Amino acid sequence: MRKLFVILLLLIIAGGITLSLKEIPFGIPKTKIGDHFINKGVEETGSVNIVTSVVVGYRGFDTLGEITVLFAATIGLGAVIGTFRKNSVNREVEAASLIVYTGCRFLFPVILLVGTYIFIHGHLTPGGGFQGGAIIASAFLLMYLGCSNKRIKENLSKTVEMIGGLTFIAVGIIGLAIGQDFLFNFLPKGEPAELLSAGIIPIVYIAIGLKVGSELAGIIDNLIQKS
Amino acid sequence: MHIFGVIITGIGALFLFIGSLGVFRMPDVYNRVQAGTKCTTLGSFLTIIGVGIMQPEWFWKTLIIVVFVLISNPVSSHALGRASRKSGISLCDKSIVDKTKEFKGYQE
Repeated sequence: MRKLFVILLLLIIAGGITLSLKEIPFGIPKTKIGDHFINKGVEETGSVNIVTSVVVGYRGFDTLGEITVLFAATIGLGAVIGTFRKNSVNREVEAASLIVYTGCRFLFPVILLVGTYIFIHGHLTPGGGFQGGAIIASAFLLMYLGCSNKRIKENLSKTVEMIGGLTFIAVGIIGLAIGQDFLFNFLPKGEPAELLSAGIIPIVYIAIGLKVGSELAGIIDNLIQKS
Repeated sequence: MHIFGVIITGIGALFLFIGSLGVFRMPDVYNRVQAGTKCTTLGSFLTIIGVGIMQPEWFWKTLIIVVFVLISNPVSSHALGRASRKSGISLCDKSIVDKTKEFKGYQE
């Protein structure tokens, strides 16, 4: 009986989705703005990666909001976890074996290299500041899991995060200062598809990468230290 | 050069196939981990290096990926095997040697 009811419910949901999506034609652009990004994106921002040209070029201010949300989440997590500190259980964790310890220490710089590559080439290849930052944070997670005696230096991570955020805002304000919009692309755009191109986009993405990486590493640090 | 790369990639794909067959056919966790590790390490090594030989401008990038795989794959399999032995998963009936009994910390 219950199975029958579940199947009936699924059928109703499937029918509803099919009916509601039937009228919508797929693959036909609804708005003209998508066409504009695809056709004029490289020309206007100098970034070959169209996603990056949208994320940092056309809606850079939103991206500033995004990293602010991430920052607020980090602070909130620290505050929430800090209240649990008194009645935390100290679990006995066996240290990882020597092979894992050595392997983690070997892999740590390689993962950092990959993350840095991804956010430096954000305007050329898929990926960017958020993705590269997440990869860098995963390197720190590996370090925490494999080498239990190693910790990130909290002051250094906070400083890197601060420098990242300040660079983003400073680049935006320079655009205002020379009489244009916030985050105006004031640097020369250069040849498309070269590393030094797209004006301020690589600078902003490196700042985002550093900020996201240190923030996520701080989240991991909080969760592992205080749980 | 291109054909050389194709041959190397083909050998790598063969190793990957043997590895997946081993994971499918082997009787217990430890044999499966071994089949999965050895064959996929060599298989992905040859596949990725073969692509690097086919496209010489990618060679250094593929070398970095290969170094990553060469270190991470055996280490993670070691951690898997050690963890499953520590949590008491028994060997298959046909195994004759169990060296972990000589060390402390392995229950059974």
